[in-house]
Amino acid sequence: MAYRVLITDDSPAMRAFVRRVIELSGFELSACFEAGDGAEALDVLHKEWVDAILTDINMPGVDGEELLRRLAADESLRGIPAIVISTDATQSRISRLMALGARGYVTKPFRPEALRAELERTLGVPSE
Amino acid sequence: MNDTTVRDALSTAVSDVLESMFFLEALGEAPEPPPEAETVTALVTFDGDPPGSFYMRLASMAANSIAADFLGEDPGTLTEQQSTSVTLEMANMICGAVLSRIESSGSFRLGTPRIAAWDATAAETMQETRYTVDTGNGTLTVAIQMETRTCSPAERSAY
Repeated sequence: MAYRVLITDDSPAMRAFVRRVIELSGFELSACFEAGDGAEALDVLHKEWVDAILTDINMPGVDGEELLRRLAADESLRGIPAIVISTDATQSRISRLMALGARGYVTKPFRPEALRAELERTLGVPSE
Repeated sequence: MNDTTVRDALSTAVSDVLESMFFLEALGEAPEPPPEAETVTALVTFDGDPPGSFYMRLASMAANSIAADFLGEDPGTLTEQQSTSVTLEMANMICGAVLSRIESSGSFRLGTPRIAAWDATAAETMQETRYTVDTGNGTLTVAIQMETRTCSPAERSAY
């Protein structure tokens, strides 16, 4: 099965890297959308269906926390699992984001297999 | 928190980020490049307990080859914008990895990384909290400057 994923990060380099890592890990993508902040992500989500959202937290404009709040408040979007990718590995931050509705959390730096594993766990894909 | 703790956090964060995200093995501590060396410097300010600034100075040659590897691009076709974007992201990741180890409040917030001039005067004040490593293609120097608090966050928020 192939999946549709949205990557939200204000760094074009990080978006490109995440996409490359997912593809190289063998995780099958049928579509990969990109957004530079939470507002752009919501625009994409109102036009395209995705299976999962990968999002940074510290972004100018609508940041990752606000994106999680808006997803939770939107009946049509709240079912889409969001995985946070962040440099912040502090437990208080992780707990707060999970409470806001994040289904997964990957701390930068991460190994490619860790990102794939979190995607599979969040989407309920059986591990090979 | 003493300077040794900070230096340990810097060296561990650099190794972790280079290995995990850039598939590079740090080749050990190296002497700092001279001020006139061709380098690019990224600055990340942060809020936390304490707040401060993080500097990353990377040899230009290393910046280009690291960016090409990170993006899976040919170094010859890499644009300056792509190289800069990767350098800023690297600074963001190393800074976050350092702060996750040393911030006492258990929470911090990073500013948007930006390209800056290497401030030799500021660097002098960070003699004990900076670290230089050989990447194999040039040196990488990281330094952190933390503000001194005169009262605790709880005391501050009471006013």
